[in-house]
Amino acid sequence: MYVTTDVAPRLLEDTPLGPEAGGLYRRQNIWTGLGFGVFLGFVAWLISHALLQGSNWGSDMVVTVTMVAWVIGFNIGMGSFNAPIRWALGHDQTHQDELYAAGVGQGRSRYLKFCTDHKVVGTQYLVLVLVLFGVGGTLAMLIRTQLITAHSSFLSPETYNSLVTIHGMCMIIATIIMVSGPFTNFIMPIMIGAKDMAFPRLNAMSFWVVVSAVPCLLATFFLGGVDAGWTTYAPLTVQAPPAMDAFAVTIITFVVSVTVAGVNTIVTIITMRAKGMTMGRLPIFTWGSMIGGGLGLYAMPAFLLVMTLMITDRATGTSFFVAAQGGSGWLYENVFWVMGHPEVYVILLPPVAAMLEVASTFARKPVFGYKVVVASFAAVAGLSIMVWAHHMFTTGWAPDLGGPFMLTTELISIPTGVIFLSIIGTLWKGRIWTRLPMYFVYLFLWNFIIGGVTGIYLSDVPADQYFHGDMFVTAHFHYTLLGGAMIAATAALCYWFPKVSAKMLNERIGKIAFWMIAIGIQITYFGCSGRGSKECPVVWRTTTRSSSMPTRWPPVAPTCSCSDGSCSCTPCSIRGATGSRPRPTRGAPRPWSGRYRPRCHWRTSLWIRW
Amino acid sequence: MSFEEQVDELERTVMSEKPFFSRPGGKIFIIWLILSVIGVLIGFYAPHHLLPAMMSSTGTDVFKTVVVFTVLAAPVAAFVYAVGIYSLIAWRHKGDQDEPPEDGPPMHGNGPMTVVWLVVSSLLVVVLLVWGLSVYMAQQVSHPNTLQIDVTGRQWLWTFKYPGTGVESRTLVLPLDRAVEFNVTSVDVTHGFWPVALGNQVDANPGEVTVIQTTPDKLGKFSVRCSQLCGLYHAFMYSSGSVVTPTQFSQWLQAQGVPPALADRTARIAR
Ligand code: HEM
Ligand SMILES: [Cu+2]
Ligand SMILES: [Cu+2]
Repeated sequence: MYVTTDVAPRLLEDTPLGPEAGGLYRRQNIWTGLGFGVFLGFVAWLISHALLQGSNWGSDMVVTVTMVAWVIGFNIGMGSFNAPIRWALGHDQTHQDELYAAGVGQGRSRYLKFCTDHKVVGTQYLVLVLVLFGVGGTLAMLIRTQLITAHSSFLSPETYNSLVTIHGMCMIIATIIMVSGPFTNFIMPIMIGAKDMAFPRLNAMSFWVVVSAVPCLLATFFLGGVDAGWTTYAPLTVQAPPAMDAFAVTIITFVVSVTVAGVNTIVTIITMRAKGMTMGRLPIFTWGSMIGGGLGLYAMPAFLLVMTLMITDRATGTSFFVAAQGGSGWLYENVFWVMGHPEVYVILLPPVAAMLEVASTFARKPVFGYKVVVASFAAVAGLSIMVWAHHMFTTGWAPDLGGPFMLTTELISIPTGVIFLSIIGTLWKGRIWTRLPMYFVYLFLWNFIIGGVTGIYLSDVPADQYFHGDMFVTAHFHYTLLGGAMIAATAALCYWFPKVSAKMLNERIGKIAFWMIAIGIQITYFGCSGRGSKECPVVWRTTTRSSSMPTRWPPVAPTCSCSDGSCSCTPCSIRGATGSRPRPTRGAPRPWSGRYRPRCHWRTSLWIRW
Repeated sequence: MSFEEQVDELERTVMSEKPFFSRPGGKIFIIWLILSVIGVLIGFYAPHHLLPAMMSSTGTDVFKTVVVFTVLAAPVAAFVYAVGIYSLIAWRHKGDQDEPPEDGPPMHGNGPMTVVWLVVSSLLVVVLLVWGLSVYMAQQVSHPNTLQIDVTGRQWLWTFKYPGTGVESRTLVLPLDRAVEFNVTSVDVTHGFWPVALGNQVDANPGEVTVIQTTPDKLGKFSVRCSQLCGLYHAFMYSSGSVVTPTQFSQWLQAQGVPPALADRTARIAR
């Protein structure tokens, strides 16, 4: 395997590490993390169980405390807090310790450790994202299997509802980090000529924190299941089983990770640019990362807040969201969507920016309208914090605000439209080289138009009073999130894969996967929108004997499952395709660029064997 | 180059300029036109098949909105698709594996094009907005002699009360052509009151009363669903509804035990 690195080889030769280098880091890896996390969680469970048993809100408190203890324990065991603890004790990390933590001289085992090298963190994120898509995709397949016939009793209602919820949240988590995790870490510093991220230790921490959130999410299945949908509206969730507490802790943990990563990205881009890399010359992907990260800093704290209030409602008897005691479900819905709408652009902006890089490389032209695109990213981010109530048009909350929120929502399609202009402008008179990544650019174009057009019906209050809550909304956001954001991220993955692994993807397998995904999405979600809007029987997030899409249209059902399956198989096909060719075809470090405008992130790096 | 030479040069380029329809712009225009026409046709025909037969004023609004928005969106989508398709036909570098021998033109943007794009999309947004707001405002106007119905959601069924008559029912019966106002609430968690073919809905929130109104204008049956996930049997939370003539409405009220005089008065039938 090859790694690309700027600093490590020199350090490797110049500074032999002493046997003491790294201190505690030497003994820590994922196993100590798991061990200590389980240990601390167990201790917390014992104590809280003993103290709280039998009290009114006992089980909620116990689950919360146990989950939080697990998260903290895991991160102590991994070494996330080593440096601050040592610093508090009056020792600082030595240079040798830092080198050790950066993975110098550790071989592959550093991928399972707290490693501050941005390329290692990026690769770790990539694996995590693929795993999460695998899990979420498997859940989607189970959902589809249930829906094969209208009367299927494959899953019980409880199980079905919790599968849908966890499918949703798993995918939301995965899509938020799908580009900002792997590629912002791996590629962005190289693009701007920085040696690493601004805060390498926080960077490693952000990864291991999100890892520790995943078991909490999966634990919900064993704690009664969350059957409230990914939006987990109160007051339904106030009555939910303790799984809801684990769900809330998952999100709180995740928010910590995303916030830390967002700050790191922004500081890196502002302060660590190489000489001559002015803001006006930043590659477009860097802008997408920065604006997406910044928007996350606005959105994510609201998520943390609303989940914390949810826990206190459940575990301590407050009543923020309980109408019978003076609270309001509308409060929950507002704070949730104050997070929820900006969040969709936190997801969207980095992949779209990455995809513009792809389009530009394979059209052999610069990105069309660079400045306008940057401005429209900023405009999208700015507007997106003012549109949240379009998710609440039919809640009955503030009907008079329907007009203003209709305005802001429709305004946002202007800067969104500029993104289309930029793509087609970049294609204009280009030398279109249709390698695998470019396929996904065209697929994005197709899907995202449909996503945007379905959005305008939903942004119209009178029309949304019909469409809200049915499969049409599901189709809309799958076209934007899966068909748009995730496909753009796949373009980026295929594009940067050689950079990350020094291996080319197998294009033939990749193109088979491409067609399965492309066709699968259309069948599944066009089906959704059609069936959903006609009889509306498939009320979203339901287990229903009348979920009639499959019954009315029998041959479609298995196809849908297959296509959903193919989406989750992409990572696998991509993985399977990788081993086949050990080295890039030509011009090793720059498989796509060739003679074309060598981009600094393809050019600067050394390729070393280790 | 002398002036004459320059004029010659210009003349030659102008003369050799191919006719509009064989230039890229012209070909894209043709593709665009075809796709737009298809899109507009879809806009007119698809809603008949994708939406249920609407049975009320608000339902008709939904239907019209879908048609208008699709027709407006079609040319924009068609333009993006047209350039995409044309780029694959005309500008694609043949020979997948070998990279293109030369780069595309170093074009960083195009001011006028960007301005046109922004102006057109802004205008479209204005049209959407004016359309949406005027429909929405027309829906807010309250009508005289509105029939009031109290709707209550609970896990997992709907009850409908007709104030003044004492009728409490599991099915929703509405008289034709009479404005009706639903006062919606819930006794446990949030539900979504959605009389589907009436094309309107509002959440049922515990501790709050939310109001929507509509005017049924076609006889027939529709279903009332819950549109907000409300727990285990959410999917089974539906009732049937029907729109009937005032006479039938009065008869239905009488069947529920309302004295004939009161039933007729509620149904506004003169004796
Ligand atoms: C032209 C731009 C867009 C407009 C006008 C628009 C409009 C809307 C509206 C009004 C809703 C609420 C529908 C309802 O619940 O009744 C909605 C839902 C949603 N949209 Fe969009 N949208 C746009 C683009 C996007 C993009 C780019 C994304 C993601 C990348 C996205 C993701 C979502 C999601 C996830 C939901 C559903 C949330 C839920 O209820 O679970 N939308 N959109
Ligand atoms: Cu939104
Ligand atoms: Cu309900």
